[in-house]
Amino acid sequence: MVEKPKCPERRIFLKSMAGCALGAAASGIAPFRDAAAAFKGKHLQVWSCGGLAEAMMPAHRLYEERTAVTINYTGAFAGALGKSLLGGAQTEVFAGRVLDLAKKLRQAGKMVYFKPLCFTSYVLVTPKGNPGKISQIGDLIRPGVRLVLAPGASPPGGAAALNILNKAGILDQAMKNAVEKGTCVQRVMDTLLAGKGDVSIVELRITRMADFVGKLEVIPIPEALFPPPPLTFTVGVMKYAKDRDLADDYLSFLTSPQGQEFFERQGFIPALSAKGQELIEKLGVKDV
Amino acid sequence: MSRQGEAVSPAVEVSPPAGTTSRTLTLWRRLSQLAGLAIWGQWSFYGIFRCPFIVPYVSCQNCPVITCHGRLFTMFWGFWLLLPLSALLFGRAFCGWACPGGLVNQLLGKLAWFKLRTRNRFTRLAPWGAYLGLAVSLYIWMVMRQPRSNIPIRVGEFFPAVALTFEHAGTLWLVRSFLVFGFLALGLLLANAWCRFACPTGGLLELVKRVSLFKVYRTDQCGDCDKCLQVCEMGTRPEAANCTNCGDCLDACPNGAIRIGRKKSL
Repeated sequence: MVEKPKCPERRIFLKSMAGCALGAAASGIAPFRDAAAAFKGKHLQVWSCGGLAEAMMPAHRLYEERTAVTINYTGAFAGALGKSLLGGAQTEVFAGRVLDLAKKLRQAGKMVYFKPLCFTSYVLVTPKGNPGKISQIGDLIRPGVRLVLAPGASPPGGAAALNILNKAGILDQAMKNAVEKGTCVQRVMDTLLAGKGDVSIVELRITRMADFVGKLEVIPIPEALFPPPPLTFTVGVMKYAKDRDLADDYLSFLTSPQGQEFFERQGFIPALSAKGQELIEKLGVKDV
Repeated sequence: MSRQGEAVSPAVEVSPPAGTTSRTLTLWRRLSQLAGLAIWGQWSFYGIFRCPFIVPYVSCQNCPVITCHGRLFTMFWGFWLLLPLSALLFGRAFCGWACPGGLVNQLLGKLAWFKLRTRNRFTRLAPWGAYLGLAVSLYIWMVMRQPRSNIPIRVGEFFPAVALTFEHAGTLWLVRSFLVFGFLALGLLLANAWCRFACPTGGLLELVKRVSLFKVYRTDQCGDCDKCLQVCEMGTRPEAANCTNCGDCLDACPNGAIRIGRKKSL
């Protein structure tokens, strides 16, 4: 199946925004308020999972434009940032992957509160034209199919793909078809684009990156096969926030319809969307 | 003394006015190095301090570090297209005229305890270290398929991101980084230790420079007095290993046997 055009997705998303406004308010997502005058000239330090970087950067540009706040942003592997934060590192706002990390930071007293931000999803990707004639995950064990994976990539990049194969009950057979077992998801995408592979398993967000957008065909994977832990992204205010009102306002912006659209555009499921609300309930993304 | 069996055509020599050419050329070279620092400085910095791969500067096309200049300005392709071209035209001139790392090493070299401006067994054999560096880099890049041994700080503030990079680095990354820093520090003891004895890019250019069109060279009037060696930051002589065609030695020869331009053999 070819990747869906973006416009219908956006329409669905915007429609669902309106439908979810009440539910969102109930789950603690406040509407964004204009804070142009209140925070002018202030700085806010934000750390996030590196996977969010493509969405966070344009969102920050808009927020900076509106509020005259300067955001000092670091995006890197959330596990590493989380480890640093659980140690001695400090930041004012942290948007991490994996719900347990947010909970640990709350329990350690380092994070004041968190909100659901967005969710990721996994897809099969093939080069344009789908030369391997892949239509569903079971095709990955077909003789001659060249599977490219990055099991050595920072979690969950590689491990999640293996988990999906495992949950589908085809891990061992599929690995026999693996022609590349790399250490970086983006690098193995190059292998795919070079025609040296037929299929890979990646997060949908990867297909929206500038280097890959429009160059891959996207085939959905049944949600039941997704490994739950890496699906959730949260954003929380840390106890080190110098200006609590500013940090709160920034979170409100990211979780507002306008902020959430940046995440939708980059291939995430916004927390504010109908699907996001469903996942919040299903995965129990609630502050502890 | 010229190479055995090689005579030099005087028709292609450029005769400099005594005493001024080196100084002028050095001034231009420093300006060129500063320009190199402006253009490649940040990319160079990222390669050493934040590149998550073991061999920096060769995997930028699929690097997850978004803010690296090599990626931002597609320097990667331009650099690796222009570098061989510059080597074919001017040999190892990139090292002496444009490389930001070269500039840092040369400045450190001015403080070095041992300038090593001499010809002995060590200075003859040690430059082979650059070929070893090149071989190891090629092995890691092509045979080991360039493993990623660090957390890529995709976006981050300048120094905090470096701190995070080191905090989460893998063993292989730390080994390569401390080797580089070790050679850089060694440059305070032995002048330009990294550029002369370890740099893989230098080793690559050293291989190509043999066929370069333009160079600083010695004529058959060379008396082997080593005056040129005494003024060379790289502790070498024209056309010898580690000569970067910097031109510092143009006025050093009492016989006027050092020229810059195209050397033609009769």
